Amino acid sequence: MPHPEDKMPSQRNVMIATAVMGVIILVPSMVGFVNKLVEFSHVIQGDADGAFAMTPIVNYILATLGFLCLLLWATMHGMFYDIEGPKRTMLSREDELDADEPDTVPVWAGGHPKPKQSSGA
Amino acid sequence: MSETEQTTDPVEVPRHAELVDEQVVAWYFLASLVYFMVSLSGGFLMAFQLIRHNPLDGVELLSPGRWRMVHTNAIAYGFLANAFLGMLHWVVPRLTLHPVLDRRLSRLIFGAWQFVVLSTAAGLLLGEAQALEWGETPVWIDPVAQLGLLLVAINFMAPICKVQGPLYVTLWYFIAAFIWTFLTYAMGNFVPEYFVTGSSAGAVGGLFIHDLVGLFVTPLGWGMMYYFVPILLKKPIWSHGLSLVGFWGLAFFYPLQGIHHFLYTPIPMFLQYGAVLSTIAVELVVTTVVINFFGTLWGDGRKFWDNMPIRWFYTGMVYYFLTCFQCALQVTMTFQQLIHFTDWVVGHAHLVMFGVFSMWLLGVMTYLFPRLLKREWYSRTLSEWHYWLSTGGILFMAGDLILGGLFQGWSWMGLQPWDHSVEISQPFWATRIVAGLAIFGGQLCFIWNLYKTWQLGPAVDSGSTPSAERAVAE
Amino acid sequence: MFETKSGIFFIAGLLFFGFAFLSNAVIPVLMYKDLPEKKVEELINPHLRYQFEDLAQRYPEQFKKVYGEPPEGEQEASDWYDAKCAEALRVGHKVYVGEGCWHCHSQFVRPVSNESKRWGPVSTSEEYQNELQRPVLFGTRRVGPDLSREAGRRSSDWHAVHFFRPQDLSEGSPMPRYPWLFDGSADKPNERGLGLITYVQWLGTWLDSYPYYEDYIESPIAELEKELAQSEPETESEGSEGEQ
Repeated sequence: MPHPEDKMPSQRNVMIATAVMGVIILVPSMVGFVNKLVEFSHVIQGDADGAFAMTPIVNYILATLGFLCLLLWATMHGMFYDIEGPKRTMLSREDELDADEPDTVPVWAGGHPKPKQSSGA
Repeated sequence: MSETEQTTDPVEVPRHAELVDEQVVAWYFLASLVYFMVSLSGGFLMAFQLIRHNPLDGVELLSPGRWRMVHTNAIAYGFLANAFLGMLHWVVPRLTLHPVLDRRLSRLIFGAWQFVVLSTAAGLLLGEAQALEWGETPVWIDPVAQLGLLLVAINFMAPICKVQGPLYVTLWYFIAAFIWTFLTYAMGNFVPEYFVTGSSAGAVGGLFIHDLVGLFVTPLGWGMMYYFVPILLKKPIWSHGLSLVGFWGLAFFYPLQGIHHFLYTPIPMFLQYGAVLSTIAVELVVTTVVINFFGTLWGDGRKFWDNMPIRWFYTGMVYYFLTCFQCALQVTMTFQQLIHFTDWVVGHAHLVMFGVFSMWLLGVMTYLFPRLLKREWYSRTLSEWHYWLSTGGILFMAGDLILGGLFQGWSWMGLQPWDHSVEISQPFWATRIVAGLAIFGGQLCFIWNLYKTWQLGPAVDSGSTPSAERAVAE
Repeated sequence: MFETKSGIFFIAGLLFFGFAFLSNAVIPVLMYKDLPEKKVEELINPHLRYQFEDLAQRYPEQFKKVYGEPPEGEQEASDWYDAKCAEALRVGHKVYVGEGCWHCHSQFVRPVSNESKRWGPVSTSEEYQNELQRPVLFGTRRVGPDLSREAGRRSSDWHAVHFFRPQDLSEGSPMPRYPWLFDGSADKPNERGLGLITYVQWLGTWLDSYPYYEDYIESPIAELEKELAQSEPETESEGSEGEQ
């Protein structure tokens, strides 16, 4: 939900970039993961102690499911209605806080010199 | 969306001076820089010892073994902790619009923390270490440090508790960091020392080193980025919603990974597999965070070159992504066979601690020192040198050590005589010193720049007067 | 909940941390809780006693200065040696930790990378269930060799000279000198020196045997003998045998 004031890159480019990044990261990860999963199933079948290896996996699955339920519940209760709000509030407050501050930070060091106001009021 | 603006406006924004105790921020930053230089010097002592040219060999108080511990502890508790505390004293009041619980408490904590750091250094140099990596703090200092962490949490949680409604992402990270740091420190320093032993203590120790990075340094670092990147770019973070994934993913997966530091130890194998799995999971989470930040920069790429703090931040993020990617590889059993106990790990640790978190903090200091000292930087050129020497130095050092680690691993695996692994390391260790000197030189530029800036005297900029005048006028 | 104070405080801060502590720390602790933790006094075995009494013979003056003299009577003397040996182990452990030895020497033989060929049997949990592994000394980096099977590989005076100036014995070693463990010269180890030698000579004595140090080297002696066929085949002795 882009805010009209945001200087956002075009959604299309962002989507493409995200997809490319996703593929670059996910493909090798999935190869590794499947590889390990196969290895793991061999461990479970071959080794009596290997069954123990189920413990963390079951842990993760249970915790992840619980978390997912929580997430759904929170969404239903409208908790993500204005999820992007705080990021704008934060910026506008920064401006108000700095309104009276001297401009001592050079632009190259991240400063934002204020436009010259009618000084002295 | 309109609702946001309605909720924003009624809040009365206090004046910056009522919120932030700038003196304390400056003290913390200066203290952190002192420990930083001490830590770097300690690193050199060990580095010169490794290439067998330690000019100070044979002096008890300058023993490289003891200074190696000073090196790591000064970075964690001296540099990072102090710099983060300074940053928190700036960020938390401004984000919450409430000052910290008590300014006198801030000053007390400042003093107490310097006491903790200095007595840790003294204890280590006198040979009183505790056998816990990164927790070598002598046992008698642990309770003081623990109390200090508690006070820090109380001091900052007070303003945070006054905020109503959903919080900005930075504050999520900070709240979590306060609890986690407290719990992690307690767990690491007391449990293996007094309650458990052997391999189980190893598991706790692994959890401690890991959590110190993951639950103390990382959340404070990312919280800091979520604050400074938007205000320096003057635009909001790309997606506040996506940052939920980053935060909760970190919160869930990161603490589960401690044992991956001790793969192939007598710690039960199924736990080791669990730690490996969650490590790989967290790399995916990290990717969402990095994407979020690059989404924010998108369209403002020019600022990477024009805006030095932004350049520090994003360079750190690139390094962060590299280390995390490296981590996903090195944590697998296959890689561990080869690289465990080698310089690969040392290279990785330097890339994370200096290449990421120190660079972020140096970027923040580049932005904040002119505001704290009320004067412009003396020289941009020196700042540029600071950046390039640091960036180049750490890349060189990490690459060199990671490569050297591979050769060491192969030498051991190939059952070469032990001396062989030491001999082949020599060129890598020598190169590391050169890289270290570059980093050291970079920091000298920064400190020289800071000194000259301080000498300039307060800016006679007209900007400083209106605030006073306006305060009177209103 | 996901972006509020209480949600973050309780779920992320406490619950997740607790969950991780439970699964990564409490589980191994429970699994090993039946392994008894040995006191230092229980760690003394004949191999170690042999090494300790060897110190008394090699460095009689220094030994007397630090520990005094054994009482008359065979049983009393034996008990006395045990007590002093435990004391030396504690001091040695403190030096080992305080000097950061464990940052360059691991105590942990892994089941991979041909390590059992080089050092000996792979480390097991039982080995670490004692007071001197509190906190555990797995180590983090191996600049020098692993030390968990070091006892008896070298003689105690080798260790003394090596601590005093490592380069005299292992050429090209990057190990620092530790002259403060001695009263002036390598034949006068002080309390800390004697303690550290005892500690190092203890590491591995709980095992029956392990290979010679770097046993895998393809017999350099044979090659030397070939080269020096004419002259006397004098070869330097590589320390004492792994275990007596």
